[in-house]
Amino acid sequence: MKLFVFAIGGTGSRVLKSMIMLCAAGVRPVDANGQPLRDVEIVPIIIDPHKSNADLKRTERLLSAYGTIRDKLYGKNANANGFFATKISSLKEVVSSSQVPLDDSFIFNLAAVENYKFRDFISYNTMNEPNQALTSLLFADYQLENKMSIGFVGSPNIGSVALNGIKDSNEFKAFANVFADGDRIFFISSIFGGTGAAGFPIIVKNIRQAKNIDAKNKAFLQRAPIGGLTVLPYFSLMESDDKQDKRIDNADFIVKTQSALEYYNNTLTGSGRNAVNAIFYLGDHGHNAPYAYDPGDKRDQHDPAHLIEMIGALAPFKFLSLSDSDLTDLATGEPLPTKAFEYGLERDTDFVDFSCFGQETRSLVYRPMVKLHLLYIFLRTGLDGMIGQGFTEDAPKITREFTGTQFYRVLTQQFFDGYIEWLTELLHNRRHVTLFNEGEMDMNKAIHKVLTKKGFFGSKKVDNDVFKAEMNRISRDSNRYGSNAELKLMDLFYNAAGKIITDRYDNIN
Amino acid sequence: MRDKVIFLVIGIIITVLFFIFKVTLYDALYYSNGFSNDLGNLDEYTSVAAITIAVAWGGAAIYYYAINSVKFDRWYHWLATLAVVAVLTPFIDYFVTSSILDGKDYGSSIVAFEMHNIVFAALLFVIASFSMRWWSSNCRHTPFPQ
Repeated sequence: MKLFVFAIGGTGSRVLKSMIMLCAAGVRPVDANGQPLRDVEIVPIIIDPHKSNADLKRTERLLSAYGTIRDKLYGKNANANGFFATKISSLKEVVSSSQVPLDDSFIFNLAAVENYKFRDFISYNTMNEPNQALTSLLFADYQLENKMSIGFVGSPNIGSVALNGIKDSNEFKAFANVFADGDRIFFISSIFGGTGAAGFPIIVKNIRQAKNIDAKNKAFLQRAPIGGLTVLPYFSLMESDDKQDKRIDNADFIVKTQSALEYYNNTLTGSGRNAVNAIFYLGDHGHNAPYAYDPGDKRDQHDPAHLIEMIGALAPFKFLSLSDSDLTDLATGEPLPTKAFEYGLERDTDFVDFSCFGQETRSLVYRPMVKLHLLYIFLRTGLDGMIGQGFTEDAPKITREFTGTQFYRVLTQQFFDGYIEWLTELLHNRRHVTLFNEGEMDMNKAIHKVLTKKGFFGSKKVDNDVFKAEMNRISRDSNRYGSNAELKLMDLFYNAAGKIITDRYDNIN
Repeated sequence: MRDKVIFLVIGIIITVLFFIFKVTLYDALYYSNGFSNDLGNLDEYTSVAAITIAVAWGGAAIYYYAINSVKFDRWYHWLATLAVVAVLTPFIDYFVTSSILDGKDYGSSIVAFEMHNIVFAALLFVIASFSMRWWSSNCRHTPFPQ
C-alpha cells in the first residue's frame, strides 16, 4: 500500500521531518493487533512555493539521506524490520512511466506559481476597472505585491487562488496515474497560515473531482481514503521590527483558524460532506515560545522543531492503522462520516519526556527512539575502536574503509547531525521536550528519567562493550547478511539494543 | 559450520596422536639416558602428556568460554593465556614427576625436561585454540580473524 503524504507549507515540512526521525528509528504503522503493516510505502510530496524555506530544505536533505541509507540497507524491498524500515520514495521513483517529466525530488514543482508576484499571477493589470476594484476588495495591497517565491505569507486567500492550478501540473497527473486501488492519501498542513490552510481543501477537491482529469486510475482516486492532519496554532510570532509590517499577525491566528475550521466543516468534514475520511486535529495554545517574525523574506523560515510536529508525525501512522471498514462503507464504496481525532498528553506539563505520553504513543515510539539514540552514541563513540574485532570480523567484514563509505558518512554526518539538531530544537522550544539528556554520551544516563536496573552488584551497566558482546553473540549465530555490511551493522545493533533495553533499563513503556 | 567442526576434529586427532606417540615425541625433544629410561619404565610420560593436554585444552577452554570477554579479545590477551599455560604446565609436571622420581637425583634433568615441555604445552594450546575458538561469542577471532 502506498501512502501519498502531501506535506503543505512550513508546518508540512516540519511534521514530515519528525516523521523521518520516527521512521528512521523503526516506528512503523501497526494493525489492530499491534502487528506491523506489510508493504507500506510512503510517498511524500512537499507543496510549498517558498523553495528557500529553511525548514523545507532541511526536510528535503533528510529525505535524501533517508533514501540513501534505506536503499543501501534494504534495496527496493518494502518490507523490512529495524532502523529505516519504512520505505519512503519520491513521486518520480514510484512513477513507472516516463511519459510525464518529473524532477527527482520530493518537492512539488510550483514553477507556475512561485516565479510571480500575486498581482501578475492573476493578471491584475489586464483586468478591467470593475474587476480590479473587486480584486482590491478581496486582496490587500501587500498581498497583491506578494512575491510567491516566499510563499503566501499567511494568506490563504492567495493560496486558494494560486494553488488551484495544481491539478494541471505534471506532478499531479503523475500522482493521479500511479495511484492504485488500496493506496491512501494523507495531508499535513497548518490551518492558521497561508499555504497549508488553502492547499489542503483545494487538493482534496481536485482529488474528489478526479473524474474531470485525464488519469487512468481516476476511479480509485475519486474514492481514495483521505486523512488529514490539521495543525491548529501551536506557536506565536514576535512582532516585526518594522511596526508597519503586519503581513502575519499573531492576533489573526485564532480568527483565521475559526474561519478555516468553519470552511473545512462546510466542504470537507461536515455532515454529508465526508470528503475526508479521517481528520486529526492538533494544537497547543498557550504553551509556546514566540518565534522571530518572518513572513518568508527575513530569515527564510528556520523554525525550531516542536512537540506538536513530533506528535503530528504519528497521525499518518494512525491513519494507516485504520482498516478500510473504518473509513469506507465497503458495500457501496462511499466514505463513512469523517472520523475526527484529537490528542492529549497523559501529563500536561511544560517539560515533556517519554513518561508524559499516553500508553499508545509510548508503546509505539519509546523503544525505537531509544534504539536510535543508542545507535547514535554507539556510532559516535564505539564502533571505530571495535573495527578488526568481534562481530566486525564476521562476514561481511566491517573494515576501516567502511567508515569512509557514502552510507556511513550520510548516516553519521548528514542524518545524525540533523537528528541531534532536531532533538536540540525540541528541547529548547516550548513545550520543552527532553527525551534524551542533552549532550550525554554515557548510555547509562542518556535516556531522560530512565535509569538502568539494579543488579546484584549495583546498577547494571550499559556501554559500548555491552553492545559489542551482544552484537558478537548475535553475529556468531546469524548468517543472513550476504555481502551487505551496512545491513549487518544496523541489524545487529537493532537486535542487540532490543535485548539490552529489556534486560538493563528500568523502562517506562 | 562444517569447516569449524573439521578444525575441531583435526585438533582432537593431533592431540590423540600426541598422546599415542608421546614417548617418541618427548624423547625426540629431550633425551637424557637414565632419566628418560626411568620416565618410560614408570609410565610417567602418560602423566606428563595427560597433564600437558589437560592444561593446554583447559586453558584454551577457559579463555574462549569462561573469560570470553570483549575486554580480553585481543591477540595479546590470548598470548598472555598461552604464556600462563606454557608456565603452568611444566610447574605441575615438575611436581608430579618429582614426586614419582622421589629419591633419585634427577633435579636438573627434570627442569631441563620441563623446559622442553613448554614447547608441547604451547603447541597444544595453539591446537586447542584453533579447534574450539569458533563457537566463542567474543573471542572467536582471537588471535587471528577467521
